[in-house]
Amino acid sequence: MAIPFYLRLKQERDVANALEVIRKKRAEAVGRIVSKGFLSSKRVYVGMATCEMAAGSKAVMTVFREAVTRGGLTDVFLSQKGCAGRCNLEPTVEVVEVGKLPVRYGKIDPARAQEIVDRHLKNGQVISEWVID
Amino acid sequence: MQQGMRHLSTLLDEQLERHGLKDRVKINVSGCLGMCHKGPIMVVNPGYTLYGGLEEPDVAQIVREHLIQGRPIARLVIEEDHLFNRFFRIFGDVNFFGKQMRIALRNCGIIDPENIDDYLALRGYEALAKALTDMTPQQVIDELKTSGLRGRGGAGFPTGLKWQITADQVSGEKYVICNADEGDPGAFMDRSAIEGDPHTVLEGMMIGGYAVGAAQGIVYIRAEYPLAIERLERAMAQARDHGLLGDHILGTDFCFELEIRLGAGAFVCGEETALIQSIEGARGMPRPRPPYPSVSGLFGKPTLINNVETWANIPVVIVDGGQWFSSIGTEKSQGTKVFALAGKVVNTGLIEVPMGTTLREIIYDIGGGIPHGKAFKAVQTGGPSGGCLPADYLDTPVDYESLAQAGSIMGSGGMIVIDEDSCMVDIAKFFLEFTQSESCGKCTPCREGTKRMFEILTRISDGRGQAGDIEKLERLGDMIKKSSLCGLGQSAPNPVLSTIKNFREEYEEHIRDHTCRAKVCPSLIAYAINDACVGCGACKRGCPVNVISGRTKQKHTIDQTQCVRCGLCLATCKYDAIDKV
Repeated sequence: MAIPFYLRLKQERDVANALEVIRKKRAEAVGRIVSKGFLSSKRVYVGMATCEMAAGSKAVMTVFREAVTRGGLTDVFLSQKGCAGRCNLEPTVEVVEVGKLPVRYGKIDPARAQEIVDRHLKNGQVISEWVID
Repeated sequence: MQQGMRHLSTLLDEQLERHGLKDRVKINVSGCLGMCHKGPIMVVNPGYTLYGGLEEPDVAQIVREHLIQGRPIARLVIEEDHLFNRFFRIFGDVNFFGKQMRIALRNCGIIDPENIDDYLALRGYEALAKALTDMTPQQVIDELKTSGLRGRGGAGFPTGLKWQITADQVSGEKYVICNADEGDPGAFMDRSAIEGDPHTVLEGMMIGGYAVGAAQGIVYIRAEYPLAIERLERAMAQARDHGLLGDHILGTDFCFELEIRLGAGAFVCGEETALIQSIEGARGMPRPRPPYPSVSGLFGKPTLINNVETWANIPVVIVDGGQWFSSIGTEKSQGTKVFALAGKVVNTGLIEVPMGTTLREIIYDIGGGIPHGKAFKAVQTGGPSGGCLPADYLDTPVDYESLAQAGSIMGSGGMIVIDEDSCMVDIAKFFLEFTQSESCGKCTPCREGTKRMFEILTRISDGRGQAGDIEKLERLGDMIKKSSLCGLGQSAPNPVLSTIKNFREEYEEHIRDHTCRAKVCPSLIAYAINDACVGCGACKRGCPVNVISGRTKQKHTIDQTQCVRCGLCLATCKYDAIDKV
């Protein structure tokens, strides 16, 4: 059990300004996100909460990951996200493209994910029938 | 564009060039953001900082101060858009997100919950830093009192007051607990919040620890949520690596430790005193209050215990101020509430709405109404502790007082929509069966009373109801509510009492006429084959008790004396030839 902070002797040292520290941390965090490719022309987010996984989002994620690592898909930033609340349409996949409104797909399975890779991500063609509107 | 956007973007490009940032920053010329009166507008990502009313010199300043020094320029930020409607700006999806406002879930579905960088980029841990640097513990509590935030676990106790009581206790040791023992059937708010944004809960708890003078926090979460636990653990490890958890947080004198305790899934352990018993290693059973945990809680020490959603609200209250927070919602219920919208509704989902939004807006605008053109019958709020509200109450605003007045409760946020195909006796029986089996058995009214009520309900739905049963249920329910030890027993009769109040005629039909108008209760219905039967024989092959007879290509019949009413024939038939009668 740690001794409560207010019972500790105040140490003789400069108390850093926590706000300054956190601002620096934020700037570093932004830098790390950018260096991971956040500024790619397309960003793909796959919903990965328990419910989405139960609906099959892990397999969907695998399809996108394969496409990025082996399928020659470049200039795409792939990430996971938590639940945005569209339970009946899971698994959901969000594609954010530079200069365009974000597109969200619902009820995506591995086959549909592959089509998103081939048609949308590689050829810029939005598959409107799966879009959540 | 007409407001000089093209020009600004050229200017911005020049500035980036000059500072050598061209390969690190990308300019997106976006479509309309729906705020024409504020233009020209610029959004800086990551962080979604929104600048409006920009003029030429501002661009250079934004590059210099925001992009290079990481310091947003307050003068230019459009305040009104801080959280409101942020979701549909990001996602499109106006129907679903348009009426929502996400405070507790502000990052859920936006950030990668397994990466602390995503959280830090969206002003994560800024509230903690602000509290540690600029605020005394009392100022933190005062801010919370100003905000009007009330406990989101269901009872709605003012959070600021709870913190004050805990802070006022003189004790060498205090504890902070996060109650993540979510057990209502059909509710998943806490799970989604932790899975989608674990850091906000941690940050809230640390601020709580600072405010009341506690150095140890405990997250009590049920073992059925493995992913939430995994992400919490990962978040804790990452926070520790960044000096955000442990000794001398952010270089200050504040030290805070966190640990996770797993609950085995007992519903009653969501009750605070039972939860504390469970952490102590004893059997999870409630004890009488007072003393409240704020005075004597875990190991007899003052303990601050709040629900996940309450904790998730704390960082926003600190960063944006209690004043701003209290401007959302209604006079007595400020802020927003998360609901798990489920049941017979088109868009089932996790939603967060400002207090005061009506049930109609939630069910029809956000939820998209009832599927398959069925009629709305009732909405159940508050899970097994709440009540069913019929269509007359659809315009009830969602806040603690209005829902209580209507005969239900806010609860932790379960919201189940019921259509005409559901039998209210059956619904009441379902919830009572749940509370009855989850009753810990410590006090007699809850242990015995719910059992007797369940027996009476079973009798009614079996068609063996007796005259006076309804009155008996009412009397028993009232007695259980008044004499039970804890919240579980005090609220267990609610589903029954509220369905009797609002749907009494259905109970009467079950007892007097032996009919179930929704055709749900198996003993009160029968299956019959109509003239649409083509004699395909599918039902005959599917019948588990072999009571369907008939020749191929001729109409079949069901032997009612032996039918077990399983409904398999109805599910099998492709010709709509089987009716429930």
